[in-house]
Amino acid sequence: MTLALLLLALGTFLLRFLPWRGEKSLKTGQAGPALVVALFLVSAFSPPPSSEWVRAALALLGTYLGLGLTGNLGVAVFLGAGLYGLLGALGF
Amino acid sequence: MGEGLRAAWPIALGYFPVAVAFGALGAQAGLGYLWIQLTSLLVFAGASQFALVGLLAQGVPPLLAASLGLLLNLRHAFYGPALRPYLKGGPLEAFFLTDEVFALALRTLPGLSPEKRRGYFLGLGLGAYLSWNLGTALGALGAKGLLAWPRLGEALAFALPALFLLLALPHLRNPVALLAGGVALGFHLLGQTAWGLFLAGVVGLLWKEPWKGRKA
Repeated sequence: MTLALLLLALGTFLLRFLPWRGEKSLKTGQAGPALVVALFLVSAFSPPPSSEWVRAALALLGTYLGLGLTGNLGVAVFLGAGLYGLLGALGF
Repeated sequence: MGEGLRAAWPIALGYFPVAVAFGALGAQAGLGYLWIQLTSLLVFAGASQFALVGLLAQGVPPLLAASLGLLLNLRHAFYGPALRPYLKGGPLEAFFLTDEVFALALRTLPGLSPEKRRGYFLGLGLGAYLSWNLGTALGALGAKGLLAWPRLGEALAFALPALFLLLALPHLRNPVALLAGGVALGFHLLGQTAWGLFLAGVVGLLWKEPWKGRKA
């Protein structure tokens, strides 16, 4: 079991390190933006589609407005998370 | 490094309850505290850690469980090359390269002077790492009572999608990013999240031309 843990740790590290090391620049095209948008969508909307998505969408709207009002990324995230909890407490 | 540490707090906020849940899951599966903590200390990749512990608890052979965990992390291979224009990757930087650290670094590194970037990135990674490991420790040591208020745990964990939204905002008019996001979401809804994220990276990689946005 410890061998499995070490294999996962080493493999994960190499997946992160090997493509990043060295001087030669790889052409990654739009991989960065593509992955950021993909990570957002899969983290916000859990399958299957349900009323939970409405709650998430409202909290995300609150996050967006929070950024507009405060201009601070951390505060906006905190507001969004708080709104998500509040909506859950209200039965959404 | 201090600036990066301070910037890491939205990530730390989101990681903490998830890490408590991971520690508690490991303890429920009968794994020893040291082993659970070592997993977070050495792997530092949430989804694959959950997969490893879950599969081991179901009696899956350890090497197969580790291999499946690695498949979940294939997407990480895209992160370093996407950051390379702003920061050269060393072993320590690579160790800290989680989804959230990548996304936040991709947004902030271009605006920093080159000499500040490494310290900022390491601060970001360290903040995330400390939160992940503190949460794991508390969960594994039986502090799952922290999650006794489910709304609190849910709300804190929602910090991660909220953070991803703000990091994705500049790219939401980029058709390649939207296409890749659609692919990832489609696979996610079919229960194949890891493959969806990997394919999203491939879609972005294949599109060589930079997105220049709408012409005025």
